[in-house]
Amino acid sequence: MQDVLNAATLGSIYLLFALGMALVWGTIGILNFAHGATFMFSAFIGHLVTQRVELPMLVIVAIAVAVGAAMSALTQLLAFQPILRRAKSQHAAEMRILIGGIGIAAIPLAIAQRETRSSPFGFQSTYSAEVMEIFGLRITTTGMIIVLCGLGIGIGLTVWLRQSRRGLALRAIGVDPETTAGMGVNRPALAFGTMAVAGGLAGLAGALLTFQLGAIAPETGDQLLIKAFAIIVLGGLGSMAGTVLGAYILAGAESFVLEMNWGTWVDAVSFGLIFLILLVRPQGLLGRKEVRRT
Amino acid sequence: MTVTTEMPTAPLMEVRDVAVHFGGVKAVDGISMKLEPGAIYGVLGPNGSGKSTLLGAMTRLTPMTRGAFVFEGTDYTRKPARAVHRMGIARTFQTVRLLEDRSVRDNVLLGVDAVGRSQRKEAAAQVSDVLERLGILEIEALRPDELSYGMQRRVEFARAIISRPRLLLLDEPTAGMNSAEREEIGGLMRQLLAEGITQFIVEHDVQMMVDTCDRLYAMNFGKLIAEGTPTEVVRHPAVQEAYLGKGAGQHA
Amino acid sequence: MSTWYDMNVILIQTTLTTLLLALSIQVPLRFGVFSFAGVGAFGIGGYTAAIAMVRFEWSTWPAVALGALLAGAITLLVGLVVQRLTGLYMGMATIAFTLIVSVLAVNGGDWTGGAMGLYGALGEISIPQLAVVVLVVVGLLQLTELSSMGRRVDAVRDDPELANAVGVNVVLYRRMSFLVSGLIGGLAGAMTTLLRTTITPAEVNFHLVIVSLTAIVVGGSRSWVGALIGSIIFVWLPTWIAFVAEWEKVAYGFIVAAAAIYLPNGVLGVIKDGWHRFRTRDERARAAAVAEEA
Repeated sequence: MQDVLNAATLGSIYLLFALGMALVWGTIGILNFAHGATFMFSAFIGHLVTQRVELPMLVIVAIAVAVGAAMSALTQLLAFQPILRRAKSQHAAEMRILIGGIGIAAIPLAIAQRETRSSPFGFQSTYSAEVMEIFGLRITTTGMIIVLCGLGIGIGLTVWLRQSRRGLALRAIGVDPETTAGMGVNRPALAFGTMAVAGGLAGLAGALLTFQLGAIAPETGDQLLIKAFAIIVLGGLGSMAGTVLGAYILAGAESFVLEMNWGTWVDAVSFGLIFLILLVRPQGLLGRKEVRRT
Repeated sequence: MTVTTEMPTAPLMEVRDVAVHFGGVKAVDGISMKLEPGAIYGVLGPNGSGKSTLLGAMTRLTPMTRGAFVFEGTDYTRKPARAVHRMGIARTFQTVRLLEDRSVRDNVLLGVDAVGRSQRKEAAAQVSDVLERLGILEIEALRPDELSYGMQRRVEFARAIISRPRLLLLDEPTAGMNSAEREEIGGLMRQLLAEGITQFIVEHDVQMMVDTCDRLYAMNFGKLIAEGTPTEVVRHPAVQEAYLGKGAGQHA
Repeated sequence: MSTWYDMNVILIQTTLTTLLLALSIQVPLRFGVFSFAGVGAFGIGGYTAAIAMVRFEWSTWPAVALGALLAGAITLLVGLVVQRLTGLYMGMATIAFTLIVSVLAVNGGDWTGGAMGLYGALGEISIPQLAVVVLVVVGLLQLTELSSMGRRVDAVRDDPELANAVGVNVVLYRRMSFLVSGLIGGLAGAMTTLLRTTITPAEVNFHLVIVSLTAIVVGGSRSWVGALIGSIIFVWLPTWIAFVAEWEKVAYGFIVAAAAIYLPNGVLGVIKDGWHRFRTRDERARAAAVAEEA
């Protein structure tokens, strides 16, 4: 049981990271390769701030969320929006957005690596994690917060996309951009807002993971990027519920591999999953075929 | 190769009970035609009647649900799309589809790039001639995005005829052209016919079809609703109804 | 001249090996295949050549040939498996393949030297020999850019349906692009490894994908000339501009992002467009006059 709880904590971290990516990709069709860098840099700014003043957890998280949202919104405004405006076809735009994202991701990564000399960084906080015991299972308060945030936001976002008007508009853009634009949905504004929300989620995930582990390395974001891709493909693009499911499945599988002492193979789980799912069930576990937009 | 012996003059192209269904939508629903060599055939029909889908199926680019295509006695229903062009069937597209980074000349030459080497050499020698006939020789070094729409359509046309096909499928060849350009293209089509290129045009502009075609088919909702000489088909009540709405047939 | 050569021997060598790697990514892109499997092929080629030399005491050139051929064969197989995927899905599946190669290298035990990698693969490759190999590869690629073959390749990339309609075997061309990508990637990996005498799993990572993409995107993705321009910029820029050397990775991030936004066809694209406009200035004036008349 303890293993299951540990896997749930890991899965919640994956989920918080992947939700922002899944939201943006599944609706406005942008696979944001700078998402990992946004995640890392939000926590890094939190680290820089707390080097001067010791802050409570909530303030650090708020800073990271704000930085993440701002970075992501800026990426949209300065890079992706101009690319979408200039590209002649969806296919060309996709590739240029991918490459543009890779380029943008390199900037914060290089800055953080330079400042930290590629060593892990953490926060100076008034908060300190305590170990709780529930029904004989041990979990840190941070772990608890992560699981609650992950599940809460995951389910909340799923419901919001299904029920709210704006959620409907977003889903409609994911299925048929042209018709939706004709129906009076302001695509650039919606895209901008969606990217900001996704960035905020990346910032949240960055801060919480740093609290959980004590420190993260500048490269952590890049590793999570591939895992998030595996999660989204596994769950099914366009399905938030699928992303939630995918995150816990991947975390479960990785925990199992670690438990069996096959530690050096752990990265192969996500890479292998990507391969397997794309070949066997390309629409993912909960995805619908028509939502795929390649 | 199957040679049909019971027919004294084998048709150039035979369409046998072809259907194309997209899920529940019957875009083409049981069409049969026989095209004899040496004529210009036209399929008339309002937008969405299935005529472009039929043309897509004839080139094997659109997967079909049932039926068969026989060209010069060869059933090519199961052959891939790329084999259709090599058999001697060329086509143009409804929307202009040109390589954007390539010159007019290169775009036209693409029409013979994947045929046999000897045919390619022969065609390359004639490319200037083809460009001249379509009035695009002077602008052969330009790229598509530097041309007017009418000019782009001519490049499409040139690419289709450079391979000297025996059957030329034209998907709304004069869409977006002014009337002078239409007449010019119509004249060119008659000229190509004289050189032995049978043509099959899909179009919704009635006037253009009446002026150019020897024989017309009319389609609506995926089925043939009339066939005959252009005047017969245009006067046919079902065609009048498809074009002008119910009840129009009696007043025309 | 000879002092310049002696001083810059390492940079010349790096330019040539970077060019080979960039070409292995560029070839599939030219065929409209969004595959990064060339980087995986780099790893396979590198390891194969090193194992052949260190464990089986093969001599240099047979080891290089074995590396290239094995990488080509495996990449072709991967291509057959992933060929029905499109766009981003293909991109990510092939990145997953590349990273699996690296996980296999970590877990290869004595064969691959594990996480420490293989040492002592003392290949005997001189710079002139490397240059000859690069020249042969470039010469063969030039054939695929000229006249009829070049137009067919362009059609396969820009409009596969049109390519089919004019009789081009699109599926075969795309499969061959995997084979060629694997052969060139394997060659790059084998020669780079034997020149450096070592290879480690950490080298076959996402960063290598970025390096090769950078070179292509900045230089131009449509021709080997673009890959050459990109490789030269990538390798030599830090030696020309001290500021770039100091902030190397940040500068590359900016350059890649800017190229993705503003120069979709890279430096070579700008040069070609400029030359085209200059050459056709009379014709364009005439066409404009005709359009005005009508």
